[in-house]
Amino acid sequence: MTKKEKFLTATLVLTMVAVLGGLYAYKEYNRKGIDIANAKAIYTNTSTELIDAFTHDEKASNVKYLSKVIEITGEVKKIDTNEKGSPTVIVGENSSMSSVRCNLDSLYTNSISTISVGEKISVKGICTGFIADELGIGSDVILTHCIIQKK
Amino acid sequence: MKKILIIIGAFCLTISSNAQSKYFTKTGKIVFDATVPKSPENIDGTNKNSTCVLDSKTGDIQFLVLMKGFEFDRTLMMEHFNENYAESDKFPKTVFKGVIENNAAINYSKDGVYPAKVVGKLTMHGETKDMKAEGNITIKGGKVLVSAQFNALLVDYKITIPQIVADKVAKTAKIKVDCTLDPLGK
Repeated sequence: MTKKEKFLTATLVLTMVAVLGGLYAYKEYNRKGIDIANAKAIYTNTSTELIDAFTHDEKASNVKYLSKVIEITGEVKKIDTNEKGSPTVIVGENSSMSSVRCNLDSLYTNSISTISVGEKISVKGICTGFIADELGIGSDVILTHCIIQKK
Repeated sequence: MKKILIIIGAFCLTISSNAQSKYFTKTGKIVFDATVPKSPENIDGTNKNSTCVLDSKTGDIQFLVLMKGFEFDRTLMMEHFNENYAESDKFPKTVFKGVIENNAAINYSKDGVYPAKVVGKLTMHGETKDMKAEGNITIKGGKVLVSAQFNALLVDYKITIPQIVADKVAKTAKIKVDCTLDPLGK
């Protein structure tokens, strides 16, 4: 290899690295959130069992479920539409104060009209944590970016 | 026997009247804003699932926010917020416990806008600091609207901004609170 060839190869490699690096950075920068409809739930269970898991051992459950895609089944207790129009489906047992609060993904808010209180549904979403009942208003597990998957 | 009944009765009365004086929400909105003029874009996240409880009798007010519940426009920003700054896996919750100093001046049964001064303790990133905030309590049709804005110096909460972005991320975060509270037990 002559000096010129060496120089050209080096320039070529460096340019490729820079372009790939730039592309990667651009993609990362503009990355959108998880596509919940096609995401696979790592955990599927009833709402009651999820609440029990958090009530029993919040720390361990945080490690297990935080930021993970979870699917739960249960009865619709209430549908909470706040003034900004992003509805929350409250799933759980009527006899209990505790529930799983499922904040619908903004792309799927229309699906709220397909469900009604008392119906058994299954919901997929990302777990953001647990609010223990320190305030006397029931404990809650919070899921965001939820989509409703009817049973 | 009569005495006992009276005591039990009085006890029940206090409980029920206490219940009526409390207001709460589980869908409170809290915005965390660390934008500075030099930021290339807005650095702010919104949490729409904050819990807030207010006791109109004592003026006690409490907020509970899950850090992972903050949503940012960019996923990368959200990850940085959770992993590098708030360390949400280690400290999943932010709690504020305080009291409305001028609670006596607020008439919870009459519609209107009342300026409110709140003092209390904010626990974020595992650190607890005294906090003062001014805002408004609006009474409207039996609901209590709480709105406030205050600043939190991130260093106080041991949240460090890496040198490389030091001039692009605010050292003092603006926190905006916007909650609509319903009476408890309805």
